[in-house]
Amino acid sequence: MSTTTLAVPSGLTPPAVRRIPTAAAALATLAKRRASLTSRTPRQIAVPLLGPLLLALVAAPALKAATGGLRSHIDYAAFIDIGTIGLLVPLSCILAGLSVIIDREQGAQRELLAAPVPRAYLVLGNLAVALVLATLQVTVLLALAALRGAHFSITGSGMAWFVAAAVLITVFTYGVAETLASRIHKQEDYTAAIPAVAILPFFFAGALFPINAMPAALTTVAKFLPLTHALALMRYAFVDPRGTGLHAIWGMSNVTTEAWLSLGVVAAFAAALTMISIRVFSRSAVG
Amino acid sequence: MTIHTLNKKLEPNVPLCTPIVEVRGLSKTYPGGVEAVRGIDFEIAAGEVFGLLGPNGAGKSTTVGMLTTTIAPSGGSARLAGFDVAKQPIAARSVSSVVFQDATVDRNLSGRANLALHARLWAVTPTEAKARIAELVDALGLGELVDRNVGSYSGGERRRLEIARALISRPRVLFLDEPTVGLDPRIRHELLDLIADVRERDETTILLTTHYLDEAQRLCDRVAIIHRGQIVALEIPDALLADLGSEVLELRVGADASAARAALGARGVPVDAVFAVGSTLTVPLRDTTAGDVMEALDSAGLAAAAISSRQPTLDDVYLRLTGDRLADAA
Repeated sequence: MSTTTLAVPSGLTPPAVRRIPTAAAALATLAKRRASLTSRTPRQIAVPLLGPLLLALVAAPALKAATGGLRSHIDYAAFIDIGTIGLLVPLSCILAGLSVIIDREQGAQRELLAAPVPRAYLVLGNLAVALVLATLQVTVLLALAALRGAHFSITGSGMAWFVAAAVLITVFTYGVAETLASRIHKQEDYTAAIPAVAILPFFFAGALFPINAMPAALTTVAKFLPLTHALALMRYAFVDPRGTGLHAIWGMSNVTTEAWLSLGVVAAFAAALTMISIRVFSRSAVG
Repeated sequence: MTIHTLNKKLEPNVPLCTPIVEVRGLSKTYPGGVEAVRGIDFEIAAGEVFGLLGPNGAGKSTTVGMLTTTIAPSGGSARLAGFDVAKQPIAARSVSSVVFQDATVDRNLSGRANLALHARLWAVTPTEAKARIAELVDALGLGELVDRNVGSYSGGERRRLEIARALISRPRVLFLDEPTVGLDPRIRHELLDLIADVRERDETTILLTTHYLDEAQRLCDRVAIIHRGQIVALEIPDALLADLGSEVLELRVGADASAARAALGARGVPVDAVFAVGSTLTVPLRDTTAGDVMEALDSAGLAAAAISSRQPTLDDVYLRLTGDRLADAA
C-alpha cells in the first residue's frame, strides 16, 4: 500500500511519524466497505429497479398503444424508457443514502470518523458505490427495454453524452441523499422524505411527456430541474438525435450548444450538491 | 526528519516522562449551552495509563471525543504526539486508536473484515496487517469468532474485537472509553487483564475513562477525577488515597450528617477531610482516632446507628471532592 509521510510537528513533544493512506487507497477502502455492505442487502439493488422496470416494460408499450405515441420521429416507448431513468436513479441514490443513517445508528460511522482520512472521503467512497450501483441498474433497465422492443440508436458520441448525463445526475442525486441523511436523524423520517425527493421531480422533468405539454408555468419550473436537463440529454444521446427535448428547454438553433449547456447545468448541480453534502456531513457528524 | 515506519522498534526513543498527550484549557459547550467540559488541563507521559474517573455526564466521553477529533472543541487545545487535534486532525488520528463506549463495528461484516478495514484505513501494509491480525486474534481469544458476522457476537466478544481492532495499527495513544460498561463481572475482569497485558506488551499510552473505581485503581498510573466538566483532582491513586489516611470511620448518624460534622468540628476533631452524604458521615482517621470521634459525638448528644471502619477507596476521594457517590451518579 502506498502511503504519505506526515510532517513532523514542532513543539516539545517527540516527533511522531506515522503513515496515512493515499487518497486512492483510502477511497478504495471506503468504497470496498460500502460495496461489501451493499452486496449483503440485495433489496438495495433490486427494490429501486422494480418500479422503473414495470414502467418501462409494461406501461411504456401500453401508453404508446393507447395514445398513438408522440406523433414525431421519436419512439414513445423508448422515450418513456429513458424517462424511467429519472425515477430509477433517484430511488437508487436515496436508498443508498439510507445506509449513511444505518452507519450512524449502528455506530460504525464513529470508527470511520476516527480514521486518519479526510471526512470528505467517507462521502466520496459512498458516492463511488452509488455510481456503480446506478450504472448496473440503468444497464439492466435499458437492456430489458431493448429486448422488449425499444429502439435505441447508439453512436459513440451518443454514448458519451448519455454516460456524462447519467453520471452527473447520479452524482447530483446522491449529493441530495447524503445531505438529507446527514440532516435527518431517524430512518423513518428519512424514508418519509423519499416521495418528495425521489418521485416528485420525475413528474415535472418530462419523464413521461415533453415538458412543453405542461402548462407554461410548470414548463418554466421544469427548466430549472437538473433532471429535466439530464433526461433531455440522455434522449438526445439514444432516441432523439434532433434534440427536441433540449430545444424545448433552450429554444436555440444549435443542438450541440444546447447539449453542452444542459450538461453544464447538470454538472453545476452535481458539483454544488457534492460540496454541500461533504460540508453537511462533516459538520453534522462531528458534534 | 525521523524514521518513517510503523514498526515500534524503529521509532524514536521516547523518554517515559515526555508528554505524548497535552491538553490545555480544553472545553466543550454543546448547542443549547450545555457545558460538558470546562477548561481542563492535563498531560500524559508516553507509556502511561491515565484514568479519567467520573460519573456519567461528567465530561469523560466528550473529552475522548475531542481528543479523537470526533467532537469539535469549543476552546483550548490538545496535542497527540505533538499533533494539534484541531489544526492537524488527520495526523493526530494517525497516531491514535479508540474504543468507544458504544459499539462502533460493522455488524454485517465479519470480525476479520472489520479488522482488515481498520488496518487499511490506518495504512498498515497488507503483510503486516495479516501478521498483526493473526497475533491479536490469538491474543484476544477471537479465533473461533473472527470469521463470523459481528452481529452474532455477544457484548464481551464485540468489545474484545474492538480492542483488537484498535491495536492493529500499533497506536501511540489508545483511548478506551468505558471499555467494560455493560459487561458482566467475569468478562469485565477478563478485559481488565487484557488491557493490563496490552500495556505491558506494547507499552502503549492508554487513556481510560471509567466510573468503576476498581478499574482505575487496578490499571492507572495516574487518575484525574472529573466532575461536571472540571478536573477536581489529578494524582497517582495512592497519593489520592493517602490524603484520607489508612483508615476511615463510617458513621450512620440518623439526623442531618452535616450537622454532626459541624458538631465534631466544634469539639476539636479536624473536619477538613470529613464528608457527609445523606445520613452517613465519613471520617478519615488521618489526624484523629476513632475514640476521639466517638467521644466528640457523645458530648454533642449524638448517637450513631451504625459504625464501621475500613480502608479508604477512590470512592471516598471522589465523595470528599464532589459530594456525590460515583455509583449513584453513574
